[in-house]
Amino acid sequence: MQVSGYKILISILLVAGLSIAGFRRQGPEPLRIDYPAYFGNRTFVPDDNPTTVEGVALGRRLFYEKKLSASQQISCGTCHRQELAFTDGKAFSTGVDGSPQPRNTMSLVNLLWVRNFFWDGRVAGLEMQAAVPLTNAHEMGQSLEVSAALLSKEVVYRSLFSKAFGTDSLTGEGIVKALSQFERTLVSADAPYDRYLRGDYQPTAAELNGISLFYGNPDAARNIRGAGCAHCHGGPKTYIELYHNNGLDTIPADSGREKVSGQSYDRGRFRVVSLRNIALTAPYMHDGRFKTLEEVLSHYNEHIKPSKTLSPFLQGVGNSNASDGLTLGLTDREKKDLLAFLHILTDSTFITDKRFSDPFR
Amino acid sequence: MNIFRSAIFLGLQLTFVVSAYAQTSPAVKISGEVTKPLTFSVDDLAKMKRSTAVLTDRDGKAHSYQGVALQELLEQAGVTMGKQLRGEQLTKYLMVKCADGYEVLFSLAELDSSFTDRVVILADKLENGPLPDGKGPFRLVVPGEKKPARSSFQVVEMVIRYAKD
Ligand code: HEC
Ligand code: HEC
Repeated sequence: MQVSGYKILISILLVAGLSIAGFRRQGPEPLRIDYPAYFGNRTFVPDDNPTTVEGVALGRRLFYEKKLSASQQISCGTCHRQELAFTDGKAFSTGVDGSPQPRNTMSLVNLLWVRNFFWDGRVAGLEMQAAVPLTNAHEMGQSLEVSAALLSKEVVYRSLFSKAFGTDSLTGEGIVKALSQFERTLVSADAPYDRYLRGDYQPTAAELNGISLFYGNPDAARNIRGAGCAHCHGGPKTYIELYHNNGLDTIPADSGREKVSGQSYDRGRFRVVSLRNIALTAPYMHDGRFKTLEEVLSHYNEHIKPSKTLSPFLQGVGNSNASDGLTLGLTDREKKDLLAFLHILTDSTFITDKRFSDPFR
Repeated sequence: MNIFRSAIFLGLQLTFVVSAYAQTSPAVKISGEVTKPLTFSVDDLAKMKRSTAVLTDRDGKAHSYQGVALQELLEQAGVTMGKQLRGEQLTKYLMVKCADGYEVLFSLAELDSSFTDRVVILADKLENGPLPDGKGPFRLVVPGEKKPARSSFQVVEMVIRYAKD
């Protein structure tokens, strides 16, 4: 009697234990985004939208879902194409109503480290960002409610949303959250430059000199050569969240950050962007004015336009290889070396990674 | 009905355009772990207790800057400085944010006269004249450092927080 009571108790505990183990993971499975330690952990993921396997899978499908546009003809992936590091090769992409976008389409790369989005940093957080192209009349032009209602008609979406966020989650908020989760996984960290940082790639002499020019600051008096790019594009991510006027115009047609802050000292300032995969994302700058990287380098070397808001890093003696401090003063050879460095930022793993590709193809 | 709708729409767009271009006068905000959140303009700063600090700039020359001691500003915002700066308060930091997105950090003890004789100021004047373009209207001046990298330009916000690790 005593013994069998004991046995029963044990079996009850065993069954309870097993079922707890079996059901322990309720809801979606957390996804850890892999990236190298040299990127640092200053990442931005809101508490109410943790990255999960199911959320990212849904987000990937939504990224390529044309039903999210008023014409049912375009998706995020139309303007942000993976093979071009999520740009589309145009100076100004065409929106759903046929009108050109006011600014150049941005590359989507290493967004996990970005806090303020767009060329002028006007939107804080990816969740807020995603609602903009979805609903803007000149981009995809469809309200979140209409999109949610359209997707609710499909069994596959009802199931994907419920797996990612639970029942009744097929809402505009769910769409935006899933898209953001997917975008956070777009990490590019396998370019030859990364392999060099990990000790698996030996750069050519030109590439090595390019690296040292990119990170180095010029000091004409001591004959130290540098291009000073890292002041603004610095660090292995080639990204710091800064806003600068990089001397494109004396009187800018687009006043950039000034429209956000209302301060005249922000005139012509734009957000510095990552240079990861830069060889794939032509044309360049917020208005796509430069067709090639050669043109970009010639801009920085010879054509900086003065203005009251021109960044101090792009003018004066401490920022020039020439003793008169008038231009950057790199030689043709040095420009080629810098270009060689920019080319080893191209990550072919990133642009062919199946996890980021169009699931409808 | 349609005309009505487009009129509203146009109105909305105009407000956006107008508000987007309206210039607001520059100000600095102190927020976070403060008991009295504070926003002040150039005029406000001119009326406070003034201090001077000398900084060797990137040109290698020493310049004198005028403004208000950071300690003074933080005390006005009700930050735990002076006698209150002990125990858990010593895990607090100040993050200084600039218009161009640049950010630098200080521990509160670095800014408190009971810990150090160095006086960090928020300057609005260089040699009693205006700050040069691109550096003002508010520049942090941190004397006694080998690099001027924390003497940041165009300060727009100061945030106090606890370090929680
Ligand atoms: C019609 C073309 C077009 C479509 C469609 C489009 N985008 Fe964009 N995207 C742009 C343009 C142009 C910009 C830059 C706009 C600006 O700065 O004002 C941009 C910027 C972005 C950025 C900011 C990147 C950064 O570093 O700040 C993100 C993120 C983004 N898009 C995500 C999306 C998502 C998600 C979708 C689908 C919901 C989408 N885009 C659809 C053209 C498009
Ligand atoms: C003062 C800060 C600053 C410095 C220094 C600087 N840049 Fe930039 N860079 C920017 C900003 C800001 C933009 C975006 C400007 C815009 O579109 O209006 C930009 C854009 C670019 C772009 C185009 C990116 C794109 O996706 O269109 C390239 C390429 C580039 N920079 C390369 C360089 C190189 C190479 C150097 C060194 C010679 C350098 N930059 C130095 C601030 C800087």
